[in-house]
Amino acid sequence: MHNRSLEVFGKAGYFNSQLRIALRNCGIIDPGDLDDYLNVRGFEALAKVLSGIKSEAVIAEIKRSGLRGRGGAGFGTGLKWELVAREKSDQKYVICNADEGDPGAFMDRSIIEGDPFSVLEGMAIAGYAVGSDKGIVYIRAEYPLAIKRLEKAIEAARKQNLLGKDILSSGFSFDIEIRLGAGAFVCGEETALMQSIEGHRGMPRPRPPYPSASGLFCKPTLINNVETWANVPVIVVEGAEWFSSVGTEKSKGTKVFALAGKINNTGLVEVPMGTTLRHVIYDIGGGIPGSKKLKAVQTGGPSGGCIPADLIDTPIDYESLGKIGSIMGSGGMIVIDEDSCMVSIAKFFLEFTQSESCGKCTPCREGTKRMLEILTRITEGQGKEGDIEKLERLGNMIKKSSLCGLGQSAPNPVLSTIRYFRNEYEDHIKNKKCTAGACEKMLSYVINDKCIGCGACKRACPVNAISGSTKQKHLINQDLCTKCGECYKTCKFSAIDKG
Amino acid sequence: MPEKIKITINDREYEVRPNQTIMQAADSVGFRLPRLCYHPKLSIEGACRVCIVEVEGMRNFVASCAYPIYDGMKIKTNTDELRRARRDIVELILDNHPMDCHTCERDGNCELQRLAYAMGIKTRHFEGEKKNYPIDVSSTSVVRNPNKCILCGRCVRICSEVQSVHNLGFSHRGFKTVVMPAYNEAFADTVCSNCGQCINVCPTAAFVEKNYTQDVFQALSRKDVVKIAQVAPSVRAAIGEDFGLPAGKNLEKETAAALRKLGFDYVFDTQFSADLTIVEEANELLHRIKTGGKLPMITSCSAAWMKYMEQFFPDLIDNISTCKSPMSMMGAMIKTYFADKIKADPKNIVSVAVMCCTAKKYEAARPELMVNGMRGVDHMITTREASWMIKSAGIDLVNIKGEEFDEPLGMSSGAGTIFGATGGVMEAAIRTAYELYTGKEMPDLDVKAVRGLKGIKEGAVMMGDKEIRVAVAHGLGNAAELLQEVRKNPDKYHFIEVMGCPGGCVGGGGQPYVGLNCVPLDENLLRKRAEALYNADRNRKIRKSHENPDIKRIYKEFLGEPLGKKSHELLHTHYKQHYPQGIIPGGGKC
Amino acid sequence: MKTPLELLTDKKNAAAERLKEKGYLSKKRVYIGMATCEIAAGSKEVMAEFEAAKKQGLDIYLSQKGCAGRCHVEPTVEVVDPEKGPVLYTKVDAKKAKEIIQKHLIGGEPLAEGEK
Ligand SMILES: Cc1cc2nc3c(=O)[nH]c(=O)nc-3n(C[C@H](O)[C@H](O)[C@H](O)COP(=O)(O)O)c2cc1C
Repeated sequence: MHNRSLEVFGKAGYFNSQLRIALRNCGIIDPGDLDDYLNVRGFEALAKVLSGIKSEAVIAEIKRSGLRGRGGAGFGTGLKWELVAREKSDQKYVICNADEGDPGAFMDRSIIEGDPFSVLEGMAIAGYAVGSDKGIVYIRAEYPLAIKRLEKAIEAARKQNLLGKDILSSGFSFDIEIRLGAGAFVCGEETALMQSIEGHRGMPRPRPPYPSASGLFCKPTLINNVETWANVPVIVVEGAEWFSSVGTEKSKGTKVFALAGKINNTGLVEVPMGTTLRHVIYDIGGGIPGSKKLKAVQTGGPSGGCIPADLIDTPIDYESLGKIGSIMGSGGMIVIDEDSCMVSIAKFFLEFTQSESCGKCTPCREGTKRMLEILTRITEGQGKEGDIEKLERLGNMIKKSSLCGLGQSAPNPVLSTIRYFRNEYEDHIKNKKCTAGACEKMLSYVINDKCIGCGACKRACPVNAISGSTKQKHLINQDLCTKCGECYKTCKFSAIDKG
Repeated sequence: MPEKIKITINDREYEVRPNQTIMQAADSVGFRLPRLCYHPKLSIEGACRVCIVEVEGMRNFVASCAYPIYDGMKIKTNTDELRRARRDIVELILDNHPMDCHTCERDGNCELQRLAYAMGIKTRHFEGEKKNYPIDVSSTSVVRNPNKCILCGRCVRICSEVQSVHNLGFSHRGFKTVVMPAYNEAFADTVCSNCGQCINVCPTAAFVEKNYTQDVFQALSRKDVVKIAQVAPSVRAAIGEDFGLPAGKNLEKETAAALRKLGFDYVFDTQFSADLTIVEEANELLHRIKTGGKLPMITSCSAAWMKYMEQFFPDLIDNISTCKSPMSMMGAMIKTYFADKIKADPKNIVSVAVMCCTAKKYEAARPELMVNGMRGVDHMITTREASWMIKSAGIDLVNIKGEEFDEPLGMSSGAGTIFGATGGVMEAAIRTAYELYTGKEMPDLDVKAVRGLKGIKEGAVMMGDKEIRVAVAHGLGNAAELLQEVRKNPDKYHFIEVMGCPGGCVGGGGQPYVGLNCVPLDENLLRKRAEALYNADRNRKIRKSHENPDIKRIYKEFLGEPLGKKSHELLHTHYKQHYPQGIIPGGGKC
Repeated sequence: MKTPLELLTDKKNAAAERLKEKGYLSKKRVYIGMATCEIAAGSKEVMAEFEAAKKQGLDIYLSQKGCAGRCHVEPTVEVVDPEKGPVLYTKVDAKKAKEIIQKHLIGGEPLAEGEK
């Protein structure tokens, strides 16, 4: 089921060492045609399950496969199913989390746009296993094409009696509806997501109670990520043994990564757990453009951590990434080369989490703001002695005290860059210097001996910071200079140094 | 479930009841973990993170208000790291808070201030940008100051969970999060009932009453006007708390004396007009029963309830008693009957009401309640505002020699006194209606079924052979529940009392902020305040409104008879649907 | 009564029939990447080219597909010759689409730069 992409695309290049389980049909089948999906053994898993496998056996199979949630936390999928199955209730819900709020991550969109049926099939299997007849896909409204494909797929599956009442005359009923999210990052967090479906403002609530006991509309609810769902049919058809033969001891199967940043082959790659970062970056990603040096890899989306170049032989799995201060997250992977300033990178990610904080809990709402202020002043050359310690103090407190995963991971980019690139922070603070040359406000413009005294820069300077008589070397008054760079752009003689 | 389970707190083992949160369990064995967003009457928010503790085996701190205990749980509440985290969290709140504590309305009574001190925040490590929003002063009653808001969400929860008004919510994200009505509508244009419970539960001063003390001071300094005050029953039952006295002390005479010292020429008792209300209302009830009028009749004394009804239950307008509230009846009598008596031009009378309420500020400004083109009540100040004025003017309320209220609007029966507690109006009305209907003395004047703090109380009174079924609700949420029942089952009751605030007026939005070791809405506190009123009732010689000699006199000299032409003109009013229409969302809590 | 698996097999066979009728096995199949990312890279105009050619009589099995994850080479077009197997074209625009139609689909010779 899973290696058809190799058949289609051949063994060369990009796909060479990928193993496509979740993405098995993406780019292979027509997502608008159920016939195409049936043709690649689609709905076989559901039919198999409905043909006499007990729900406990289905859960046992998923448990044995070792599948863990692909939405970020990596919670055991089988265990989660079991918790929901155990609950007694007149109504249970199965939710597909397709909010995909991580900037730069688009594997969930890709799966729904390229292979919507596999998600529906996975959800129906879970519905059978946990005793639910109602599925909901919560998908962000910014994914109009994915929504359209999903709607069409649900419609087609219903027509063929693969969703709806009495599926394949088995007596099991399961239907799926779509709910649109308005694009708040935090609405991907499961409790906030359910609040949002219920029509409230999407704010996380304390757990317990966990959704498995009291979730959507206070009913037991099973929530999994798109990629998790897409794995399920394969496990059922190919068996837990096969699935768990892929990956590492504690992280089974594959993971899809969105490869971006300073890398030649950007895109989605799906590799077995345990593959090293080096392999992904150099063998699949084709290395860094312009033969620049790799500086770091940021994994796990905006709340992940930065991994320095000397650790790129780390195998990618939940535990290993956690150990070095990052996370798997939803699978963002941003490659950073030597031209990037790590303080600015940390600031960039924190800007995102700060503005996407729901504002409910103090550490996340206020704390990330203060961290951002400190980072901002560091990148603007206003850093003070003790700022790094303040960042660490706030960061550790926020991680341990916040209400939900957003706050608990928001400081990661900062803490991990301090951990591995402390010298860069110190350089910014003590020497007012950004070695990568990325922090605009820290640059200084100095006129060198190539100056012929043409006066072009003097005329270009908007704040009259440049003085000098004609045919004499000019001088930039650093106190007046606003570092706008106009002089640098204007000079035809490379007589202005930026640094 | 075992009776008790064992938990360890800071290395010491305790046996506690299962099925509670860490905070509840810790409280039960002598801790009081720091807290802000938690409130025992509201749902668990888990937002402020001040109550965090360490639990063995957990990577992160947990919010003790939200996390359930289990057998063998090992908890630490006081490690160095925890203390520092808590301190930093409170500093973060403080860093985004105006530092005007010494002039703030909550000075000395601010939970944040207390907490900041307790956490030992001497230096500021993280100060930076502060929020800066316009203050909403559009409402007659409630001022919303987002700059003092610490986003604990208690107001949001009390407004929806207790009061069923659903006027407040969080808007915007991250650092820009603000509590506001939908679309940041000006408060005056929202469904706000003006009940002021948001003020009571706010740990800081993000909500305060619209302050009219300067207007009153100005009026008091005028030589050309007659200055008249009236005092609501529950003011006397609580004002002492503002002066450090224990709750439940009735300062009736002291309050009258203090107001006179402030410069009022006459100090009248709203309990007098409460008696007047009862005489009118009891007659109205009997009239409706006898003539097949609209039933159940629902009381109309609570100003927050009136606005709420007009917005959320306009279909029940015909059920509402047409009687004005005691405050407005008093206003009307001051500007007519009393003006005549002292031969003053009512235009030269300044009538000030001292109430436990914030919604009465709105009521005082209602055009329907005008008396010959004038306001019956020119200014309404809360118990808190009155306390401030008394302190500000250097009057010693605690040691002052008590004085009587002025005649002829100052004498009251026990029935007028108990108006301040939930069920009191009902009880007072029954005392009078019983005797009017049966012509006999009521054997036991205490109507126990309608006393107490149960959210919705029901009872039946036999008036001769006629059974009168009554119900009492306090707090708008309970009222909404009861009235939804009335919508479904209109014949269930004859008479319903509704008070907008939990506990009735003693729990009003204008009452003193609670002191240490007490939380707003605390039932013991409400009970003590109510008890002060029930005690006064018990000790009164006259306990029935219609037996108040000054009530008899005012009918004889001025009003004629209950429900008569003059009454109709001066003591009754009408209500109409009010927009925006309120919506009570469906679906419940888990 | 048939088991769900048997019922599914029936459905599958019917689906295969329908695909065959559309020429799945007999014709050259052309798959055009039509995920959001491909559309953003310009695959709509590529699709339009093929649709136009089909209208004018080019006998192919034309279909869309999702994104294969190869952002840096989108839009992609995959041509599957029943006899010869698949050829993947990358960074296709209208001009290249025309070439594919002319040389590969009509002429029978895959374009040189067609990435395998
Ligand atoms: C701030 C935040 C954002 C999240 N966003 C997403 C998301 O976009 N998609 C997703 O599947 N899970 C997201 N999660 C994780 C979910 O809370 C939840 O763990 C997940 O949907 C469970 O599915 P899984 O077990 O299959 O991973 C987010 C969590 C946090 C704390």
